[in-house]
Amino acid sequence: MKRRQGWLFFIIFLLTLSVYLLINYPLQLGLDLQGGSQLTLQIIKEEGKVTRDELEAVNSVIDKRVNNLGVSESNLQTLGRDQLILELPGEQNPLVASRVLGKTALLEFRTQKEGSSTDLKTLQLQRLSIKELIEQYSFAEKSQNDDNFLKVIQDDLKDIERELNYSSTSNDLYGKLIEIKKYVDKEITNLFIKTDLSGKDLINAGRRQEQTNSNWEVLLTFSNSGGDKFAEITKSIAGTNQLLAIILDGESISEASVGNQFASTGITGGSATISGNFSAENARELEVQLKGGSLPLPIEIVETNTIGALLGSKNILKSLYAAISGLIFVGIFMILNYRILGFVSVLSLVLYGFFNLALYSLIPVTLTLPGISGLILSIGMAVDANVLIFERIREELYEGNTLTRSIDSGFQRANSSIVDGHITTLLSCFVLFLLGTNFVKGFAATLGIGVLISLFTSLNCSKTILRFFITYQSFRQKNLYLPRNNFSQ
Amino acid sequence: MKFNLELIKNKRKIIGFSTILILLSLLGILYSTFNTSYKKPINLGMDFVGGNELRIERICKEECSNFSPDSVLENLRENSKNKNLLNNIKLQSQNNNKLISIRTPYLSIEESNNLISNLDNIIGPLNYESKDSRLIGPKLGKRLLTNSVTSLLVSLFAISLYITIRFDKKYALFALLALFHDLLIVFGIFSWLGIILSVEVNSLFAVSLLTIAGYSVNDTVVIFDRIRENLKSKKEGYNETIQLSVNESFRRTTFTSITTLIPLLSIILFGSYSLFWFSLALSLGIIVGSYSSILLAPSLLLKD
Repeated sequence: MKRRQGWLFFIIFLLTLSVYLLINYPLQLGLDLQGGSQLTLQIIKEEGKVTRDELEAVNSVIDKRVNNLGVSESNLQTLGRDQLILELPGEQNPLVASRVLGKTALLEFRTQKEGSSTDLKTLQLQRLSIKELIEQYSFAEKSQNDDNFLKVIQDDLKDIERELNYSSTSNDLYGKLIEIKKYVDKEITNLFIKTDLSGKDLINAGRRQEQTNSNWEVLLTFSNSGGDKFAEITKSIAGTNQLLAIILDGESISEASVGNQFASTGITGGSATISGNFSAENARELEVQLKGGSLPLPIEIVETNTIGALLGSKNILKSLYAAISGLIFVGIFMILNYRILGFVSVLSLVLYGFFNLALYSLIPVTLTLPGISGLILSIGMAVDANVLIFERIREELYEGNTLTRSIDSGFQRANSSIVDGHITTLLSCFVLFLLGTNFVKGFAATLGIGVLISLFTSLNCSKTILRFFITYQSFRQKNLYLPRNNFSQ
Repeated sequence: MKFNLELIKNKRKIIGFSTILILLSLLGILYSTFNTSYKKPINLGMDFVGGNELRIERICKEECSNFSPDSVLENLRENSKNKNLLNNIKLQSQNNNKLISIRTPYLSIEESNNLISNLDNIIGPLNYESKDSRLIGPKLGKRLLTNSVTSLLVSLFAISLYITIRFDKKYALFALLALFHDLLIVFGIFSWLGIILSVEVNSLFAVSLLTIAGYSVNDTVVIFDRIRENLKSKKEGYNETIQLSVNESFRRTTFTSITTLIPLLSIILFGSYSLFWFSLALSLGIIVGSYSSILLAPSLLLKD
């Protein structure tokens, strides 16, 4: 009798390897298990599909911004053709990331149209009064709804709207204030003419606190050619009443005059500062955006998931309970029905578990909740194959065949229907993996891997273990394989 | 242990039973489409329509104090800048007022953070480590829905193709009938759950339908194989051979279903809440699937 010794050693080798892998390369846990935030960014393109190059370009800008933000252990990956997924582990607030990433951050330098000074002054004054209204509004919010105060703000806003000849469409007061501010910023932008200097000409950005007050300013450093362009532009308007505007995403954030002393050479030195009443936070966000460059296409944050760390560890514990109890109950069921054979299938299941997890750390597969449910579900499917084989063996035994022969032909005859039966499940997994979201992919991956490994463990491993058992005389009694009351049939 | 299912005698009953189940499912789907607030065949959850879902625990010394959801909502509305977004807000408490869950239409991250800090002021302190927050934009929702429907159709097509290649026409037709029967009934059950308990379906529901499709066909294939094999070798009549084949494979079909159901039940009992309805849908699918593989599909093969 062959003990299939070769296979036995191979299986023991695989088991040792799996344990080694699991100890040295711990499993990667998804955010629903370790806590953290996940943002899905959608690239917006009005016409046509997002090309591979565009996706790459957006990816690299976002990557730079994330790095400059100083988010630790973040993970950015593309999903499909026009989405990116950003993962922020731990208790990091996704708000800052969303503010910094969501903006296109297209920086432009424009010079004022001649003869527009009066218009500009009016608009600047209006902008100032709206900013004041916004401040008053947040103050009124904090002081628990002073209705009279809000009414005053509302009336003031109406006055400004009348002056601008524009009526806002937002539903609530705060939305209206923001909308009007944007409108004014755009109107200001319209008074300026484009130059060929833009965010592309920057090589660095920084920030510092202004000396005279607590506001922050953002420092720009131009490339050589950018510095030349800047000098050229400033020279052209120096000493005139035309202003230089710095425009971010179509809205003017700062307008400045260039003194007469620069009329001969322009502002040289290749650097500039933007001081537009930035708070420390705003300045940092702008700095990060400018350092990363502008996005070639706008993006929108379409999904945000946040899971607390405590909930994550609870999820791990719950999944562990579910997996272990599932394994134990399946084991009990198998042993009750198939005796020694059941025990063999339990051993193969344990092997199955180790191989699966080792493969997850090798590929690597990030474990998520749906992934774990795929793994647990595949336990049931792994046993399926054993049930098929054992039923065949039972039939052979009932027909009066010897133990060895029954086992051999049981494995042989069940082979084709097992492989066959798993094909449809694999088909579903394949489709899910191709078309599914990130969340769904986890399930498809673990279930698919599980079904494949189960082909090896339930066919090969259980056969080898069984062969090993029956080399011992005491394991060769037929009633260890069949429930006794049915044996005399 | 020999099983003796009297398939031939009970053919009418089995087909009748399945017809009733299908009619009930269709009724649920129709009722859901025309007579509910959401006017859809099934109550689509946040994954498909977008929105904001928040679950968070309160920190309480001993027992968490009672509160009325309505007054909390009133308070939240008063403190919110964007009043319109909070018109559709739903608030529930579970676990003796400890766990708060909130559903609103789509909010930005900033708005959602404001909502949480306002909530903290009203019924706090809250345990931020227990937070589970999901924000899905309506655009993504639509996309997820199209994605799910496409994957369902593609995989049904692939499975149908596989069956048609593997079996001759008659077998393939009945195997597919059994498959659509299973999917329709699980869908119908969730339509009813949506109507009665406002259970919503998310992208995991689509996954469960796909998995059920793969699994249910698998069972039917095994039984049909047995029937084909026996029809070639046995000398009994056509109907008798079918009945015999079903009884021969009864044990293995029920046993494989049981071994798959056991882990699913442990997820339902011990697993995370986010997997509860998913595992339930899968379990129902497996139960209906084994019924249709053992009883319905072979009954359809029987000759009168």
